[in-house]
Amino acid sequence: MLEIVDLTVAYGPVVALERVSLSVAEGSITAVLGANGAGKTTLVRTISGLVRPRSGSIRLKGAEISRLAPEAIARRGISHVPEGRGVLAELTVEENLRLGGLCRSDPADRRVGVAEAYELFRPLAERRHLPAFTLSGGERQMLSIARALAAGPRVLLLDEPSLGLASLVLTQIMARIKQLVHERQLTVLLIEQNARSALSVADDAVVLSLGRVVAHDQARRLASEEGLRHAYLGF
Amino acid sequence: MQRFVVLTLNGLTEGSIYAAMALALVLIWRATRVVNFAQGAMAMFTTYLALFSLEHGAPYWLAFIVALLSGLLLGAVVERVLVRPVESAPPLNVVILTLGVLLMLEALAPMLFGGQIRSFPAAFSIVGFRVGSLQVPFSASDLFTLVSVLVAMALLLLLFQRTDLGLRMRAAAFNPEVARLLGVRVGRMLTLGWALASLVGALAGLLIAPSLLLYPTYMDQVLVFGFTGAILGGLDSPPGAVVGGLVMGFALSYVGGYFGSDLETVGAVVILVAVLMVRPRGLLAWRAQRVV
Repeated sequence: MLEIVDLTVAYGPVVALERVSLSVAEGSITAVLGANGAGKTTLVRTISGLVRPRSGSIRLKGAEISRLAPEAIARRGISHVPEGRGVLAELTVEENLRLGGLCRSDPADRRVGVAEAYELFRPLAERRHLPAFTLSGGERQMLSIARALAAGPRVLLLDEPSLGLASLVLTQIMARIKQLVHERQLTVLLIEQNARSALSVADDAVVLSLGRVVAHDQARRLASEEGLRHAYLGF
Repeated sequence: MQRFVVLTLNGLTEGSIYAAMALALVLIWRATRVVNFAQGAMAMFTTYLALFSLEHGAPYWLAFIVALLSGLLLGAVVERVLVRPVESAPPLNVVILTLGVLLMLEALAPMLFGGQIRSFPAAFSIVGFRVGSLQVPFSASDLFTLVSVLVAMALLLLLFQRTDLGLRMRAAAFNPEVARLLGVRVGRMLTLGWALASLVGALAGLLIAPSLLLYPTYMDQVLVFGFTGAILGGLDSPPGAVVGGLVMGFALSYVGGYFGSDLETVGAVVILVAVLMVRPRGLLAWRAQRVV
């Protein structure tokens, strides 16, 4: 579904990703693990077009997307839930969700997308007409994810969804995302610092260290490799 | 008392013009964090285009529409051609650039249209209405000014609050990066924002021209008062801009009426300083407060 080949990204002289290659199968969850500064966030920001790669290619179902603008990439079905400050604080919950649906061409799909978001995330329905800055940190993270799903994405990029979320809520959200993965063949790239919880939901996992891929395997197998766990994942 | 009523009505009419100018400035500020110092000059230029159309035989309303449409176009062109290339430069660069546009238009206008003071017709009678035997200082033309500013504001409000396009524009203004991730074409939204602001400015230029007369710098003072109104209201808040503009209208009218018109400009500064001492972020800025 998503194919990344020899991707190199640099901020001026600082190389953030070096010849990163990985592939994400349709209808699966791939965890991207690694310490702070390993390049995880740079990777998703490059996929969604916010950062221009120096070289390499990113293909969505075979089509090259690495030179497209972020808005064009979003319209092709890649939804990026940015780390932390993703909600538009001045807009209401409802407006945030509507905005998520706007990149769908069929107005009926847009309405369904918003309705589904409320169904998945009940607490948001009670606050639909409140501005998003009145929400708690956890609710904002929920809104950010719900908004991404309202777009009806083919690929979901989740950057540290566990930030600010109670672990019970996170478990519920991940269970729902897993459901979408099975029912709709949603493809998920999950960035996490907390390797243990990410490996428990992911099918595959990639470990980044200082901008390079040091492991790419089934999540189950990575979790059982003690040397790797100690060296890169800290558990 | 009678004097008070006269000054109040006068303040209401002029205030609505300052409100329109303030609104134009706020629309651009909110979308691009730029104070468009060329706003007044752009309105001057489009009003000259209306006068040009009138002189070539166009009926008043056609000239009116010519000015509004050319305002729309001028705003879009200034954003696309001049502002966009320096978008990522430090904010001061863009501010200097808008000053450049101001100077350029004020130099261009006398070359194209002549520098002398010209009269500009009003759409309706400028003779005050009669109530019984009393003539009130409020004319059909004043009423038209007030109504058209209100209509423009209502339409903008509908656009921003009730349509998908308005939602996209607000998202692009509040957080361009997140908006792009949601598929919003932010560049287009900014161009449209400048175009709409310039349209509102063009309207203000047309409405004030009959009373100020038309010359290349006639909008400078309106820009200053509109800008003061925008700051009064909190630069981030469109309703604040409207309130701030009206406050300026009333205040200047009272200062001019009771203390002499020489003191109007001083009055504007005094009001600005006074309000900012009490509410440093503007009258309606509490709406724009955000917790991130």
